[in-house]
Amino acid sequence: MSPIVRAGKIVLILAVVLLLWEYGAPLAGIPGYVLPVPSVIVAKFWATRAAQLSHILDTTITTLLGLALALIVGVFLALAVVYFRTLRALMMPILAAFNGIPKIAIAPLLVIWFGLEMESKVVMAFLLAMFPIFVNSVTGLGEIEPDIIDLARLSGGTRWRIFTHVRLYHAAPYIVDALRVAFPLALVGSIVGEFIGGNTGVGYLVLSGQLQIDTPLVFAALLSITILATLGTGAIGLFERVFLPWRPSMRRQ
Amino acid sequence: MRAPDNSLLSLSPEGRAPIGVAHSSSQSRLAAASAAVSVDHLSKAFRGKPAVSDISFSARHNQFVSIVGPSGCGKTTVLKMIAGLVEPTSGSVVVNGEKVEAPLRNASMVFQSPVLMPWRTVLGNVLFCIELRGDSAARYRAQALDLVKLAGLSGFENHYPHQLSGGMQQRVSICRALLVRPSLLLMDEPFGALDVLTRERMGFELQKLWSLERYTALFVTHSITEAVLLSDSIVVMPGMVGRMPAVTIEVDLPRPRDADIMKHAHFIELAALVREQIEAGWAGQPA
Repeated sequence: MSPIVRAGKIVLILAVVLLLWEYGAPLAGIPGYVLPVPSVIVAKFWATRAAQLSHILDTTITTLLGLALALIVGVFLALAVVYFRTLRALMMPILAAFNGIPKIAIAPLLVIWFGLEMESKVVMAFLLAMFPIFVNSVTGLGEIEPDIIDLARLSGGTRWRIFTHVRLYHAAPYIVDALRVAFPLALVGSIVGEFIGGNTGVGYLVLSGQLQIDTPLVFAALLSITILATLGTGAIGLFERVFLPWRPSMRRQ
Repeated sequence: MRAPDNSLLSLSPEGRAPIGVAHSSSQSRLAAASAAVSVDHLSKAFRGKPAVSDISFSARHNQFVSIVGPSGCGKTTVLKMIAGLVEPTSGSVVVNGEKVEAPLRNASMVFQSPVLMPWRTVLGNVLFCIELRGDSAARYRAQALDLVKLAGLSGFENHYPHQLSGGMQQRVSICRALLVRPSLLLMDEPFGALDVLTRERMGFELQKLWSLERYTALFVTHSITEAVLLSDSIVVMPGMVGRMPAVTIEVDLPRPRDADIMKHAHFIELAALVREQIEAGWAGQPA
């Protein structure tokens, strides 16, 4: 199947669903404040485009900051665990236990600690995104085929060179996969943070739509979130295609 | 025909016979000192379970030595102890006059699987060890390309490992091992994962590449014909742990060796002798 045909099929299916929604919902007697039709949502999205853009930008910034922080901390923790065996025994159970706590439950605490501004949202995004990055980095950096390490040692490879020439490359696909999971989680973290307090971000927009029973506004905000999520996932896919063409999942192309 | 070296054969009971068997546990200290690799009463136990027990043999400089024996007799462990990657429980290894206590520097290892980096191209993989030891890849690029060409991989320099067949991948790993000009070339059943026809061709390819520089080479295999075809001498490891010493058989066939030599009476004779020794090892009785 050529890419054009495949894209065509997706567009066709989407068009059918939207048409069914547009004309089926009123026929079924679903009121607009419960399920607004696509044309109303798009009109609302367009009418509020300036607000949508500014709020989604706020959310993008907190999401990316949280994700970046999670990436840095996650990879460094993984390095510590990979290079220091004793730390591994100490840290793994603590981190696993911490991961068991539903982070949403501590969101109000974060507001007390970090206030209603950006910080609490970034921390929330970070907390949700960190664990998958950490776990995947431990595997990617640590589980190198023993033969590769032997080979490197026999050629006189230092720890540092083994890190830069082997571990980092080996970890790259694992970290990219972790980002695929962590990016939407960071987005969830940001939006939950915006629900809890403050007056910025797309989460705030959703919440204000709810308070005014402006369902089209809620859906328009959801459309913004969908666009952000799609762009984010697309960016990760693009990175993978450009920099990791050798990984098995990329080979068929 | 190569003149037989006197360090091993002189101690065999029949003196300088055309086919000699040396019980290497009786080697003199003199022989050990002149050898490139000298393995002395080497034993290894993993968690109390013996994997190798009391193995002694030696390899001279620029010799190609095969280590044969039934699977599970600890050939790989012996190789890793020689490389300094595994610490022996007892006994010692001396390589180029120095006792091995840490991983050897500038030794090369070829494994059963090619162990290529999937993120590197063929050329990048051949240059891997050069970069790992901290040398500039650019300086070795021309040499690497020459080796790649000699190995019959021209046109594949920029391919990734997954785009190559198993035999080609293993050739890349041999090129990688040779590019560092190793003081010792260790090969652990490098053709074990290949089909029989490819395997035979790879044997000749390896002989060709090895003949360029004649690095001291230790080659673990369980193929008797492969061992006779490639080696200057063959070490037969006993099958049962601790029952009998390793035996060294000198292979005095002329080089270069082609497929025809396998029909030679002397070749067949040597192969039979190796087989006899392996079977004797199984039986647990010295032949």
